[in-house]
Amino acid sequence: MATNPYIALILIPIVVGLVNLILPRLLQKILTLIGIGLTGFLTLKLALDPEFFEWIYEIQYLGLDKLGIFALVGMQVLALIILLFALKGVNSDIERSFFILYPLTVGFCNGVILSDHAIVFMVFWGLSGVTLYLFNLLGRGKEASESARKTFMLIGGSDACLILGFVMLGLAMPQASWSITAMQMPLSGSIAIIAFVCLLIAALAKAGGFPFHTWVPSYSKEAPVESVAFLPASLDKILGIYLLARMVMQIFQCAILVHMILISIGAITVIAAVMMALIQHNGRKLLGYHAVSQVGYMIMGVGSGSPIAFAGGLFHMLNHTIYKSNLFLALGSVEKQTGTNELDDLGGLGKKMPITLIMAMVGAFSISGLPPFNGFFSKWMIYQGLLDLAKEVSPGYEIWLLVCFVLAIFGSALTLASFLKYLHAIFLGKLPKKYDKIKEAPINQWLSTGLLSALCVVLGLFAMELPLKMLILPILEENGMAGFEYAGLYKSKFTLVMMGLVFLIGLITYILTRKVRFDAIYLGGMDALEKFRVTGTEFYQEIRRMKPLCTIYDWAEKKWLDLYALLGGCSNSLGGLFQKAHPGLLSLYLLYIVLGMLVFMLLK
Amino acid sequence: MIGLKLLLLLGFMLGTAVFGLIVGWVDRKVSARVQFRVGPPLLQNFNDFFKLMGKETILVKEGIHWLFIAAPLAAFSMLAVISTMIWVALILNQGFGGDLIVVMYLMMIYSVMIVIGGSSTGNVYSSIGAGREIKLLLGDELVFILVCLVPIIQTNYALQLDQIIAKQAENGMVIGSVSGTIAFILGLLCIQAKIAMPPFHIAEAETELVEGPLMEYSGPLLAFWKLNHHMMIVAYPLLLVLLFFGGFNLQGIGILWAVLKYLVIVVLMILIKNTNPRIRIDTALHFFWRIAAPLGLIAVILAVLGV
Repeated sequence: MATNPYIALILIPIVVGLVNLILPRLLQKILTLIGIGLTGFLTLKLALDPEFFEWIYEIQYLGLDKLGIFALVGMQVLALIILLFALKGVNSDIERSFFILYPLTVGFCNGVILSDHAIVFMVFWGLSGVTLYLFNLLGRGKEASESARKTFMLIGGSDACLILGFVMLGLAMPQASWSITAMQMPLSGSIAIIAFVCLLIAALAKAGGFPFHTWVPSYSKEAPVESVAFLPASLDKILGIYLLARMVMQIFQCAILVHMILISIGAITVIAAVMMALIQHNGRKLLGYHAVSQVGYMIMGVGSGSPIAFAGGLFHMLNHTIYKSNLFLALGSVEKQTGTNELDDLGGLGKKMPITLIMAMVGAFSISGLPPFNGFFSKWMIYQGLLDLAKEVSPGYEIWLLVCFVLAIFGSALTLASFLKYLHAIFLGKLPKKYDKIKEAPINQWLSTGLLSALCVVLGLFAMELPLKMLILPILEENGMAGFEYAGLYKSKFTLVMMGLVFLIGLITYILTRKVRFDAIYLGGMDALEKFRVTGTEFYQEIRRMKPLCTIYDWAEKKWLDLYALLGGCSNSLGGLFQKAHPGLLSLYLLYIVLGMLVFMLLK
Repeated sequence: MIGLKLLLLLGFMLGTAVFGLIVGWVDRKVSARVQFRVGPPLLQNFNDFFKLMGKETILVKEGIHWLFIAAPLAAFSMLAVISTMIWVALILNQGFGGDLIVVMYLMMIYSVMIVIGGSSTGNVYSSIGAGREIKLLLGDELVFILVCLVPIIQTNYALQLDQIIAKQAENGMVIGSVSGTIAFILGLLCIQAKIAMPPFHIAEAETELVEGPLMEYSGPLLAFWKLNHHMMIVAYPLLLVLLFFGGFNLQGIGILWAVLKYLVIVVLMILIKNTNPRIRIDTALHFFWRIAAPLGLIAVILAVLGV
């Protein structure tokens, strides 16, 4: 093992992180860039060179299959691009700590993907949760420590479930000798079911699926924006869905009912989170809820058991990491220029920050799944898979599945609505006077969001040729799920060329016929005063007030649907009971002792 | 091959535009007759269009000009592609780069462009109208998904437009079943809302919001918005013909049937338009989500059961 150069993928970032502890800032940045660049390069070599790949597969504890390569490539690309954004712009008081934690996180996440041994896997999984907590503590918001605690409780609690699940699996299958890829069992019997539920909780909590999602919005609001784009928006999604994919594809053989339950969890996640996103007033929180809602599509795709939807789910995971980090970073640029992320205070910035507007628009259209961007392609694949499945199951399941299907498509209409509000509140509408002197974001920031936007377009147009052919379909082949046909028809390049051509014709017509005059806003004779400004945050008041949605919204705002708050409330009231039982009276304690002895005697 | 497709696109784009302006005349004429007026001459819409083309374009000084200009053109290109997809499936029985899901998603682009183009100016009326436009989209989209599912289920999960027609030729039209009839009626209301025809002209609301998102538009750009509106009156009813009436058979008496199928839908829409006042946005949401959507779900369940 000592001679294995690919342990480098884990060690280089961790060493960089540790060395960064003592370096000054500039050197920190250079070293991090070199370190992450090197791991990125090695990953690329690993992905392109199958012989190395065969060789590393033999190594004990560390292992890598096609699914791992896919996750690894996605992570390195994201890590590099987000690092580019962070080079200039992280708040100076937390910059040092940021550049220590960043490479460490990359190392730990690489470790999760590379480890084949269940215990090594759990160690790295836990460590990546720790850096998540530390990142959250770096936030400067008032509730940063509170949200860090919440994150740690949910992620840490789910880690306990992960350990329990893997220990049960390891003991039930001694022949696998703790190798994750060697574990295989049908999903029947209490041990398998409990282990499955435990692992599912871990995967859902990490990826941010319902009902373990509540840490994502609060983390998004409080933590530094680069870390939000880095962890909950991308790396944690990859890890969570990676685990889920391993579970349903390799470890367990699931019955149709299990697939249906997973699809339903996905559909509920999509709708519940997007409905919450609709009414948010804080930009980061809005994006955080969308980061939850999109997980629903991945769970639906990966959990459905249909090969095409499985491929779509994995593709959606990759797409989500790209457009969601794009959106978070674009919001980060706005935040760094204006000093706020409250949607009510922003507006009309599109004139001042046109490049950021374009990037945010590409991100918003991708996440809403408008053709020809990447989000549409993966959603389209998931829908095909769901309908394929509906063809084969009995009528009861068919109706159930179709309801989930409708919720999924409607979810993307709701996503679109929420993002139109978001774009309107930040970039469109009237510019408040105080932002007259705002400038465009610095070059490294829009270069970073620009790269992500370009990826959104490229992956949407060349989906078949690039990600599917090179990274995702090999996964299916390796696991014997290959060979499916698309029932539908979608030629992304063709559609774009056609639309572009008509657009060009329209533009030429406009240019030839235009006679331009510039004038002020027309309000029927009134002056365009500041008080006539519409921010857009109130767009969905009618929905907020509608019965029975208003009741659910009220519950959600009282945190009755927040698992963390519920569990916290339970443990508080339990603690209160115990507190009352300890008044500090000697006589009472003596009574307890006597009672206790009596109980023991009776039991004896 | 790609050259042929380009020709198809250009042909159907122009055809839809011209046809749309003529149907726009039918709309205006019938509406006028309902209100005991004479109504405009046949070519009035063409005159309006070309006159607007010659007028000056007023850009708002502090607005985002490129978005303001790009929005109507992008909506136009989307409509051209959608109508070509529908025409090619109807007439040539082929696919044109997209299936029903693609069409459903492309249709959402129109609302996006209305919102973005309108609110890029910073006009308060446009912003209010933009908010209503999205809410109306949310309302009708849920029902529209359910409506589109019914033909998909009845044709044994065919997604491509030409296959939906072919399956209906084998098994009979979708509208012939109970679920198909319910879905068709709901679909009619959905496209009424998508075209923003009264009683669903909530976003534009001339008397209240002064055309809402379109308020700052003038000259050629306004001409494009008007053209878009007319193209929708052609494309969306044709989509219903495709989904529920089994498309066209353009031989002999079939041509008459084809015209009749389309006219039935358009005349129904014009009559709904002329007999209903504009409804409030919360009423519209209430109607679509709490009355139409359960009905749509019933239609889907009936379709699964084969009724």
